[in-house]
Amino acid sequence: MTQAIGYAKWKMALIALVVFCLSSCSEEDDLSDLSDTIIVRHMDADMPAYIFGNGAEKVFLITLHGGPGGMGLSFRGTAFNSIENTCAVVYFDQRGSGMAQGSYDEDGISIDIMAQDVLALVKVLRLKYGSESRFFLLGHSWGGTLATATLLKDQRDFLGWIQVDGTHSPRDLYAKYLSNFERVAAEQISTGNSIPFWESVNELVEEVDPEFNRDDISRLNSKAFDAEQELSGDDLINSPSGGRDDLVFQYNLLTFYWNLLNTQSLLDPDIQGILSYTDRLSEITLPTLILWGEYDMVVPVAIAKEAYDNIGSSEKRVVIFEKSGHSPMGSAADQFAAEVNLFIDQNK
Amino acid sequence: MHAQDQADTSSFLDRTEFKVGYTGNLVWNNGLSLGGEYRWKETVKTKEKKRGQKTVTHQLIWNGNLGFTTNFSTKTDAGAFTNCGLTWRRTNTKGRQWSVEVNPLGYYRSFLPETYEVKGGDVSKVFLPGRSYYAPSLSIGFGKYRQEKKLTTWYFNANVMLLTAYNAGALPLFSLQYGYRFNLKKK
Repeated sequence: MTQAIGYAKWKMALIALVVFCLSSCSEEDDLSDLSDTIIVRHMDADMPAYIFGNGAEKVFLITLHGGPGGMGLSFRGTAFNSIENTCAVVYFDQRGSGMAQGSYDEDGISIDIMAQDVLALVKVLRLKYGSESRFFLLGHSWGGTLATATLLKDQRDFLGWIQVDGTHSPRDLYAKYLSNFERVAAEQISTGNSIPFWESVNELVEEVDPEFNRDDISRLNSKAFDAEQELSGDDLINSPSGGRDDLVFQYNLLTFYWNLLNTQSLLDPDIQGILSYTDRLSEITLPTLILWGEYDMVVPVAIAKEAYDNIGSSEKRVVIFEKSGHSPMGSAADQFAAEVNLFIDQNK
Repeated sequence: MHAQDQADTSSFLDRTEFKVGYTGNLVWNNGLSLGGEYRWKETVKTKEKKRGQKTVTHQLIWNGNLGFTTNFSTKTDAGAFTNCGLTWRRTNTKGRQWSVEVNPLGYYRSFLPETYEVKGGDVSKVFLPGRSYYAPSLSIGFGKYRQEKKLTTWYFNANVMLLTAYNAGALPLFSLQYGYRFNLKKK
């Protein structure tokens, strides 16, 4: 009798274990609230992809951060919280960026290799979440350059492209800086906003080399960020909202900045003043959404129009956020999320 | 004033100390470090002063360390390390110590979460993913020797470990180490 009770206990325990295992498996299969971190190992680099949001429909938005050398998770916040309700968002630390690690020589990092990394990420996501998974690509700033390179390599993996304040032609950025500074400075001085600052902008434009110069583009880029601060102070750019406080704990900032400096020093000489995809934009035939801040001083808004005019897609749209600078996902979070969600909904 | 190399009559265990302590940068990486030290050479200098005798001891010590650190906010920043090298340490009459520790031989292993490798068109899951780095290190620190205590010394070190080849270069990892040393024979 006692032995029979003992067996019954073991049976119950076994059944409980099986039920627990099955429920664990079904939790793993629940894609509606993803919170995964996986690593893509490709060409001697290990690159983290952080996947959050609603993957129930197996629709994934792959995001490419700025920099080069930025952080994948820097996008997370108000706008992307809303987008995560629509689809799964993949925040990717690119080669030599964020917490990506590896061992490769100086030739082991280039925009061409990084574009291959993005295509490798797609392959990994297909294996993990199923071959029926569908993908959209979003690039911001430098990430927009990388997205262009990726799509020109192979656009078949994607249902749509969202270009956010990113340049398809770093070669022409220098000239765009000069003309944009002159335009905005004249406009701001005429309206009486921050006149000493905008006069200093005009002085800088006079001072720098009229043709591309590596030292001068750093000065112009730095001034562009200062200009956005001034515009924000004059209430022409909304203050960014919805950044995540925990970002500072998720990235070892010492590692991050070290990677940033190294990666920029290796990539910039091959990109700044040299690289241009303008002549090849017609090859991109995906549905495309171009999102830009009216007061983007870092990648001026004229580039949005140039992209729109040259992209080969028959379905393309450009949206300019009036009170935004280089990061409309922060300064116009609700409209930004609404545009992205609509685009994904229409093209998924 | 006179200096002397201490006679080498002590046993292996007398000359050996172990250490255990915190290692990390307080914000992103926190972990534990264990180690052992073997006193190789020792010079004791004694000076007669008005206030009494002043004794300064200089030691050269072989040391080895084993540690683990992780960032509790992310899965992408965990690793274990081991290293060995030589420590120079100065101890004054009051037991206050300064030390410089050079570990030319070091190994760091990062631990990664679920990893997939893409080679050409093939994707495969990686077993026990991580990456190995040659990781020499340098520490500068101070501490206090307490003859009467079982935990003979507390120490505080500032450490830099260089992971190489990391990405296309090398990565310095800065950390603080706080812990205690003890001798197994001490009762």
